[in-house]
Amino acid sequence: MTKAYINGISCISAQNTIDDSWFFDSITPANGDYFSAIEPSYKDHIAPNLIRRMGRAIKMGVTTANLAIIHADAKKVDAIITGTGLGCFEDSERFLLAMLDNNEQFLTPTSFIQSTHNTVGSQIALIMKCHDYNFTYVHRGFSFESCVLDALMLFEEGKETILVGGIDEHTPNFVTLNRRAHKLELQDTTKPIHQSTSNGVQLSEGSAFFLLSKYKSDKSIAAIEGIKTLYKPKTSEDIFEKLTAFLKLHNLTLSDIDVTLMGFCGNQHFDKYLNDLLPKLTTDTAIASFKNLCGEFYTASAFAMWVATKLIQKQQLPQSIVIAGSEPKHIKYVLVINQYGGVNYSFMLVSQC
Amino acid sequence: MSQRVYITGLGMITALGNTVSEGLLSLSQSKTGIGKINHLTTRYKDEFLAGEINLSNKDLADLVKDSNPEYNRNTYLAMIAAKEAVIHSGIDTKDGLRTGLISSTTVAGMGITELYYKELFEKTDHLSVIDTHDCGDSTERIADYIGNVDYVTTISTACSSAANAIMLGCRMIKHGQLDRVVVGGVDALSKFTFNGFNTLMILDREWCKPFDENRKGLNLGEGAAFLVIEGEDALLKRKGTPLTEIIGYANANDAYHQTASSPEGYGATLAIQQAIAMSGLQPSQVDYINMHGTGTPNNDLSEGMATVAVFGNQVPKFSSTKAYTGHTLAAAASIEAVISVLSLQHQTIFPNLNFTTPIASLNLTPVTELLKTPINTVLSNSFGFGGNCSSLLFKKV
Repeated sequence: MTKAYINGISCISAQNTIDDSWFFDSITPANGDYFSAIEPSYKDHIAPNLIRRMGRAIKMGVTTANLAIIHADAKKVDAIITGTGLGCFEDSERFLLAMLDNNEQFLTPTSFIQSTHNTVGSQIALIMKCHDYNFTYVHRGFSFESCVLDALMLFEEGKETILVGGIDEHTPNFVTLNRRAHKLELQDTTKPIHQSTSNGVQLSEGSAFFLLSKYKSDKSIAAIEGIKTLYKPKTSEDIFEKLTAFLKLHNLTLSDIDVTLMGFCGNQHFDKYLNDLLPKLTTDTAIASFKNLCGEFYTASAFAMWVATKLIQKQQLPQSIVIAGSEPKHIKYVLVINQYGGVNYSFMLVSQC
Repeated sequence: MSQRVYITGLGMITALGNTVSEGLLSLSQSKTGIGKINHLTTRYKDEFLAGEINLSNKDLADLVKDSNPEYNRNTYLAMIAAKEAVIHSGIDTKDGLRTGLISSTTVAGMGITELYYKELFEKTDHLSVIDTHDCGDSTERIADYIGNVDYVTTISTACSSAANAIMLGCRMIKHGQLDRVVVGGVDALSKFTFNGFNTLMILDREWCKPFDENRKGLNLGEGAAFLVIEGEDALLKRKGTPLTEIIGYANANDAYHQTASSPEGYGATLAIQQAIAMSGLQPSQVDYINMHGTGTPNNDLSEGMATVAVFGNQVPKFSSTKAYTGHTLAAAASIEAVISVLSLQHQTIFPNLNFTTPIASLNLTPVTELLKTPINTVLSNSFGFGGNCSSLLFKKV
């Protein structure tokens, strides 16, 4: 499969990633057992008449999509592919509560219209007047990964410029319900996340978009070499075997990887296989974590892709994310190994170009 | 990239029946599945009609032999249809070939979330519904029900969802990512979607009348349909039998309005044109169109305009089957793909029900009587909120 050049990126996350100059210098801690996205002033990015009606997922998505396009200096896109595990939950919840509170009466359609999972993708298409390919993936920890795989296939089918992004939001009620279900837990920040003995995660949210091109240009920051998802692998050996095969497909071995970003989430059960993999990886590559910064959500891997791109761009590995190994002299290949819920595993390979 | 893709298995549960053969029987008798609402809890149950499957959630749980106390209608419908498709195709997911599952839904777990949402904040009995709320949940449960699935994902592009699942499945086979894929969509009726469509004022209180001048709106329906699609290599290897070939598909965006279609049907025109172009056929070689035809004033006019834009004064025979099943949203395109295959297999066009007067500005008349006629190709359209427009083109084998 041909690689995809990353020509523009933008990210809203629990860290100040929306500020282009931010590079792991000031770290914003969680609000206890959850993180909230650091959002920009949307009026700088979206027309005021639109902002008023948009839910947060839509605002985060449209803003980061727009910035990725601007950074890449792209004139048009041939496809818009979005991933979201939870969709526009704020609007869904608003319509749901209004329906339940008023016994199905006096409802207005706005929040129902915006509750549809493809709202972010379609709003971007509407704003850009893009009549081309438009897809929305909604599969848990594969939502963003599915977008990337789709984009790589589309490049082979002749598309040249593709916008991909992952977006998820939470609401106060959603945080409360996850807490009541014992899914959330405050993490001990004095220890690295992979050593966590907790039984919960820090719920989070965010949006990261990437303007991908089939061709390398002076805007190209890095390249996506490949992607692979694993559904319910049976053992960590199984994951390692698939990882070796994945790297081999790209004529690489583990010793070629400079940094591996691992999706430890703090829940010791979900993190088990990644911890089992660690000793096999550490001899060859520096290992870093990212969910201690962005928290856990369905599309956290989009944040990881943003981190991978930044590391390659800056040629630096900040100590605040390193959990094993030492800083490489040169960052040519960054491998993302993510897991969601101990069920959805993925590999994404990003390279210097 | 040149591998041909065939449909080899069908599974469908709708208001027309719990299996493909029950559905075919109703279609052949021009019998609608739309009627009075019995199972959905809504204050409007006596005011509107729906294409509801006449089984309680408990009945569905029994059908899939599930003991989960949270009866998630959406998941059960999907499991039933996916299993039927897999059995029908005769594939063995343990034979070493790579099997994918690509599902689609819009309502996901909302049908159960809406029953308990308020009490989740006070009681703990139903807290597990937050694990079944998202779209991926039903897909993973289908994957585990089928077993040995190498790739799973879920698509949600409103009412075009399942068309995109079918399209993605074809592409993954052609790219050598998978050997075969179980593709489809599901949406069960929920109070949430029912009220949503009601606030948009696009529900007809009587039977919907697709492509009729006096059409007033759609009837909601529910259901699931899955198809097994296989690359020719995999099919040869296991000596399977193809039912139909998928020769064209396209995805475009209307980029006009979040919920309404453009009056001229620009996105729809693009999708239809590109799907036909991919097949290498001329528009004149399309024998029958299974229309999106929801019965809303906006959709049918827009789709009609797009049809005329592509086919000019040689519009093929067409009908909408929404008046049989109701509009099943994310499942609509896979249900209509199954119906398209049945049309090709039985060389039969299932008529457009409830039609009397053509739309004045278009003067297009659908097939209104069961028609036995030679059909080599069927085009199927699906359009959704967010401007998502998809078309699929099927060919007799």
